[in-house]
Amino acid sequence: MAKIGSSNMLYRRGMAVLLIILVLGFGTGVFRLVQLGIFDGEELQQRAVDQQLNDTTISAKRGTIYDTNGKILAQSATVWKVVMSPIYFKDDEERTIVSKGLSEILGKDQETIYEKTKESSYYVIVQRQIESDVKDKILEFIDKLEEDHGITGVVSLIEDYKRYYPYGEFASSVIGFTGSDGQGLEGIELKYDSQLTGTPGRLITAKNANGTEMPFKYEQKVDAEDGNNLVLTLDETIQHILEKYVDKGIEENKVINRAVAVMMDIKTGAVLGMAVEGGYDLNDPFTLVSHTEQKTIDALPLDQQNAAESAALSKQWRNKAVSDTYYPGSVWKIITSAMALQEGKITDQSRYNCVGYYVPFDGAQKVYCHNTSGHGEQTFDQALCNSCNPAFMMIGQSVGSAKFWEYYQAFGFSEKTGIDLPGESEDIFFSTDGSMQPMDLAVASFGQNFSITPIQMVTAVSAVANGGKLMQPYVVEQITDENGNVVESKEPTVKRQVISEEVSKYLSSVLEQNAQAGSGKNGYVAGYRVAGKTGTSEKLTYTNGAEDYIASFCGYAPANDPQVALLVYFDTPTGDSYYGSTVAAPVFSNIMSEVLPYLNVATQYTAEEIAQMDTTADNYVGMEAAAAKNNVEAGGFTAIVKGTGDKVLSQIPTAESRLPQGGTVVLYTDSDSVKDDAVEVPDLTGLTVSEANAVASQYDLNISISGSNSALEGISYAQDIPKGTKVSSGTVIAVSFEQDSNYGTGIM
Amino acid sequence: MDYYVNLEHRSEEYKKYHEENRGKYATVKERATTSTVAGRSNSRRNRMKKKFKFFSVRSGMDMPFLFLVIVLLVIGVVMMFSASYAYAYYTMGDSYYFLKRQLLFAVIGVLCMFFISYFDYHHFHKAAVVILGIAFLLLGVVLVLPPINYVHRWINLGFTMLQPSEIMKFALILFFAHWGSVYFTRMNTFKYGVLPAICILVPTIILLIMEPHYSCIVIVTILTMIMMFLGGVEKKWFIMAIGACVAIFVILYVTGLLTYAMERMNGWGQALEYTTSDMWQDTWQTRNSLYAIGSGGMTGLGLGQSRQKYLYLPEPQNDFVFAIVCEELGIIGAVLILAIFGLLVWRGITISLRAKDKFGMLLGMGLTAQVGLQVVINIMVITDLLPNTGISLPFFSYGGSSLVMLLAQMGVVLSISRNANINKT
Repeated sequence: MAKIGSSNMLYRRGMAVLLIILVLGFGTGVFRLVQLGIFDGEELQQRAVDQQLNDTTISAKRGTIYDTNGKILAQSATVWKVVMSPIYFKDDEERTIVSKGLSEILGKDQETIYEKTKESSYYVIVQRQIESDVKDKILEFIDKLEEDHGITGVVSLIEDYKRYYPYGEFASSVIGFTGSDGQGLEGIELKYDSQLTGTPGRLITAKNANGTEMPFKYEQKVDAEDGNNLVLTLDETIQHILEKYVDKGIEENKVINRAVAVMMDIKTGAVLGMAVEGGYDLNDPFTLVSHTEQKTIDALPLDQQNAAESAALSKQWRNKAVSDTYYPGSVWKIITSAMALQEGKITDQSRYNCVGYYVPFDGAQKVYCHNTSGHGEQTFDQALCNSCNPAFMMIGQSVGSAKFWEYYQAFGFSEKTGIDLPGESEDIFFSTDGSMQPMDLAVASFGQNFSITPIQMVTAVSAVANGGKLMQPYVVEQITDENGNVVESKEPTVKRQVISEEVSKYLSSVLEQNAQAGSGKNGYVAGYRVAGKTGTSEKLTYTNGAEDYIASFCGYAPANDPQVALLVYFDTPTGDSYYGSTVAAPVFSNIMSEVLPYLNVATQYTAEEIAQMDTTADNYVGMEAAAAKNNVEAGGFTAIVKGTGDKVLSQIPTAESRLPQGGTVVLYTDSDSVKDDAVEVPDLTGLTVSEANAVASQYDLNISISGSNSALEGISYAQDIPKGTKVSSGTVIAVSFEQDSNYGTGIM
Repeated sequence: MDYYVNLEHRSEEYKKYHEENRGKYATVKERATTSTVAGRSNSRRNRMKKKFKFFSVRSGMDMPFLFLVIVLLVIGVVMMFSASYAYAYYTMGDSYYFLKRQLLFAVIGVLCMFFISYFDYHHFHKAAVVILGIAFLLLGVVLVLPPINYVHRWINLGFTMLQPSEIMKFALILFFAHWGSVYFTRMNTFKYGVLPAICILVPTIILLIMEPHYSCIVIVTILTMIMMFLGGVEKKWFIMAIGACVAIFVILYVTGLLTYAMERMNGWGQALEYTTSDMWQDTWQTRNSLYAIGSGGMTGLGLGQSRQKYLYLPEPQNDFVFAIVCEELGIIGAVLILAIFGLLVWRGITISLRAKDKFGMLLGMGLTAQVGLQVVINIMVITDLLPNTGISLPFFSYGGSSLVMLLAQMGVVLSISRNANINKT
């Protein structure tokens, strides 16, 4: 053995090398492995798992929205998403093949798709929401790619849902719409987004780096839970009626700042209809409805267009009924009356002298009445029917500002109503603690200079009608799950008793008087005992130098057993008139006269109304011609016999048709006479009732009168069968009458 | 032996005396090493005898070392199979593709190992310079051959890929063992200790840069230094060399060139951070190696249960096989395997230190150190401590020629053990 000096050194150096390798080398290695495997292990493992697991989201179907009768207002249907995993492309040739094929099927620019194929990603959306016909083509294309080019796993389809709104531009502000990812953006869709959305499921599978599954089975599936369905309190029929007449009102009165009609079930607080016009198409919410607005925006410089467009869109989507505030104007006199009556400040002996203006306190400015010559001495009933501002300033002062604020709060004006719609605004009162200056109180008594929302107003008036019980307004009455089981049912909630039953009854009777013969008579509907109040509020803004007004009418029916309350309001009418009595009241009347029969509210005609009522024709067919003629005349009608036969073969109007007293009944006795008989419908518009009736009689035609009861004083503006149409004689033509717009009595 | 150590601390006079003695020993030793030459010229009988003594079996080989080699080989082949079968399935269509080949070469390698263990390693003495020459030749040849995977690292022999750098490593160890044993008295001089190392290392490094094969540069450099160190080169040279390295490192770091260099080196040290898309691609293998190690945790996912081998970790059968080992067997398994490697290195060096001559000592320690070094560098690469530049793990990584080469080298160590004064059971 080499046990010599140099070997000794070699031995030491050999041991040194061994130690360096083992301690320094292996030590570092072990240290690093422990560091990675144990201390950083969790994070690294997570990152590994993230790339190893294929986590596919299974979309949950968004719940359906129904109206109260089960009509579908919003529904999701299955569509597909075309996605690519461009990371798997092997070369540019494959990219070209795929982008060319997809662009042909989807009708998209090939360059755009080609750009996407260049991304190094596992998930690129090429096209959302394709329908099943396109889906089939894509499936064929995927097969073709595999067979002809051996390209796999690059293009795939993912099930998705698309939202459809069968009624389009209908109840837009209430229903709202969803965004591209199916999230609720407005209205009910937004407010109940979490209910409607459901819980997306997941399918987790292990995959190799090529994205295909690993040989060992690792699969975990969590089923998607479909969203819940909503049943609204909204009634599609009522909503359509509201929208129809509000649209008409907007057009006729050249309303420039939209209009609102809200109908509420008085006993429950359920919103039966909420029209905010002009609406927009829920299937295409991002298109501006107003063409003039679109043109204004297009004319702007490019950099301002986006901001202007989004401002215009958010205005279009805004639910004016809950998000906008306004001065309630004279409609507020209902509330002032209610507080004064409840506080006992109004008695049978109370008299209010109006000299055309009122000075609320010494040294104050005169506040004028709309009737500047003065209403003279009035009882409370008269003051309300006259909508007399001085009288209400006196009533307000008798209540005092402290009590005024108390009732203001009690009627729910100081807080949001809590209706289940997004974006509800708060009121704007004179102060946050309710303190008011004397002049504030004076003008507040007739609804000026403080702002509330339409939904607050109709809710408070409903409380007046509802025996003083303030209800919680709501739009969704039931939530059901995907199998139709009820998840949640909204029970009507009484917030508080604001005024007594007696005050409610008494005030209702006064408001009924007002609607029958007072300032609100344009809102009258025959047979339904409507109660209501007009309002014309000053906005204190100006358009083209003219002051802006809000014309509104709020009322309910029937006065003795209130069922539904309705508020209509037109923001800034620029037509011939801006009064609540002329702009809003007729719309109120038209809506009520259609909605009340639809709701099967029993008619309660007054004696006077019965006298004016239409009657029905009996059946005369089969009778001897002479006998029939006698019977017709005995029924109070005029008989015209046509033909030469002995017996009546047919008659116009047919049996059970409604026709006015003294109308014409044509009796046909042979078939030729039926064929030959034709008259041309004359123009029946622009006439009084008697004039129209006279013209109709000349042509052997009948008219039926529709419109407000003041029709007897009104002028006809429409007929259901247009002039010039050939009809059989005896046909009943419905003629609509309305107050001469000049009739407006200038109600404040 | 002991007296010599003590002498070092004695007076100048004794030193002087000792130096004379050392000279004597050197003369004796030199005579001894040239004895074969003398034998050849002196006696025909001796030459006949030498031929007959192609195998010189003094005694049995070292069983613990053999056992460790076989254990590592078995674990290595099993783990290589486990790591490779998904990759083999997806790319070759045959899960057993790599296993079959590796098994074949393992058998060949083991046969080689046994064969060489009977071979008298002293014959390498004569062959050292020739082998070095061949190694240089191959390193040159590989550069003119078409590149494989964009690098000139392999010579395609048809049935296997030969890595000339593997030959080079062996040739270097062999040469320095030869040189160190011949000139061990003069190794403390610059001319004999440092200059030959520089003369051989510099062209080697240049050739390897041209391949390029950076991790091999690291290995040959360290191996050369180890061989110089063992050969008896004075420590000041190492201190100077290390000092120079540190200085260069500091300069690079201060000037910011280091970060640049690290980025250039396939995003070394930045595998987990996303910087650029290209970098993310470059660090793919290292990142997924780290994922695999992290996924294994303490106890691992179980043999065969790796997920990272499903194409996430590219070529898991090659340099990064140990990452899959960590994922499947956990840190416990990995550390156990490292411990076996450690034992192998310990045993190899122990055997070599008991070798009967300096040549055997240097050769055995060099070959063992090479295994240890390669394990350490491989672990550092897969844990992102060193740039990913292609260094295989002995016994584990797939590769026919290098496995055979490795086992043959283990055969040399075993051959040395036959002549070593050590308890071999």
